[in-house]
Amino acid sequence: MKRILPLMIALVLTALSGSASAQFNLNLNRMLDTGKNILDATKDVNEKQEAEIGREYAALLVGAAPLLANADVQRYVNRVGRWVSLHSERPDLNWQFGVLDSDNINAFATPGGYVLITKGLLARLKNEAELGGVLAHETAHVVRKHHLNAMKKGKGIEAGANVVSMYLEQQGQRSAAAKEKLVGGMKEIMLRGLDKDDEFEADRMGVVIAARAGYDPFGLVSVLQMLQSLNPKDSELALMFATHPDPGSRLDALDRAVGSRLDRLASQPQAAERYARSMQGK
Amino acid sequence: MRAFLAALVFALGVGPAVAQETGFAIRQTEVKKEPFSDAETVGTLAEKSQVKVLGRQGGWARIESGLVAGWVRMLSIRMNSGQSSVVSGLKSLFSVARTGSSGTTVTTGVRGLDKEQIQNAKPNPEELKKLAGFAASKGDAEQFAAGDPQLKNQKVDYLPQP
Repeated sequence: MKRILPLMIALVLTALSGSASAQFNLNLNRMLDTGKNILDATKDVNEKQEAEIGREYAALLVGAAPLLANADVQRYVNRVGRWVSLHSERPDLNWQFGVLDSDNINAFATPGGYVLITKGLLARLKNEAELGGVLAHETAHVVRKHHLNAMKKGKGIEAGANVVSMYLEQQGQRSAAAKEKLVGGMKEIMLRGLDKDDEFEADRMGVVIAARAGYDPFGLVSVLQMLQSLNPKDSELALMFATHPDPGSRLDALDRAVGSRLDRLASQPQAAERYARSMQGK
Repeated sequence: MRAFLAALVFALGVGPAVAQETGFAIRQTEVKKEPFSDAETVGTLAEKSQVKVLGRQGGWARIESGLVAGWVRMLSIRMNSGQSSVVSGLKSLFSVARTGSSGTTVTTGVRGLDKEQIQNAKPNPEELKKLAGFAASKGDAEQFAAGDPQLKNQKVDYLPQP
């Protein structure tokens, strides 16, 4: 039964994809392959493959909005981010952080350890502990492989498991079609967001990862309060609010989890001066 | 460039004062004289009391509400939505900075992080190479953390799922 089930799923999926299957000229062998792909996708994608998918994902983000043309700010954000990521369960990934030149308020993580924050969000942060909190939240997404899992789960066939594994299996001679499908799956996640529970988990973990890195653990809480104080109809917030639970429910969830647990870390630095200095390129 | 920096300085509150934030208590809350739980209680906020938030420190918010002033737990406060003056102020400063510094045309509507723009985005491997050039090594990060203020490693357990 175990062997037959994926094949059945493959047959159903292939039948569902209709015109798409004609387009990609699927024959019976391909159908059997698809069944195998679904099976493979339930296994773990290895670190190298994850990095490869992450690179495609990050290339898409910097394709949507360019990097901020300020090397000092980029390097500063990398130092903070790298320090924070060293306090996660995946300290040795090829972590890369960046600032996108966009007035939108948002931050993104990709598989493999790329983390991007917008200029718009950076400009509204008050100190390094807040920056550390945001980057730690994104770090948690990478540690828990939230995006990779969302891609594998696939909301719809386009972003489905077979897309990820099809892409990975075509090493060296990747078809434009496979790549295009992968990009489509990534865009779908960028626009629809992760599961709410993944966001709540990243908040809970982010607070702790920032605290382990020596920051005031409440930086992220402060950012969420700042987000709550903005006008939710502001266009700069549209995508972030469409892809995340509202800041109020995120604060409520953190409120229930934190209690007095972090009191002993209350005197850890916020590093407001260093943040101000670094934003001025000094 | 200068205008951009000025914009960030403004945003950080280093320059002119940032608009005051307001919020409300989500539960009946003791107001403390200092930002810790065993500090003297100087008053009590009723649920839904409006507060001005004047600052934050280690999980505590310094507030004023009527005649009471002191510290309450940050997570007992939610902010009033729509205090967007900072946003609109920044928006104009940033766009001035962008058009004024590089002389490049503003490409609004072509690239960006709005829904439609993401839908139309194309991967940019060149930009990604630039990104790699800014990366910090483990050693860079450790050296940075040894600076001022110093960031010290802490052992902290993950929070339980409520």
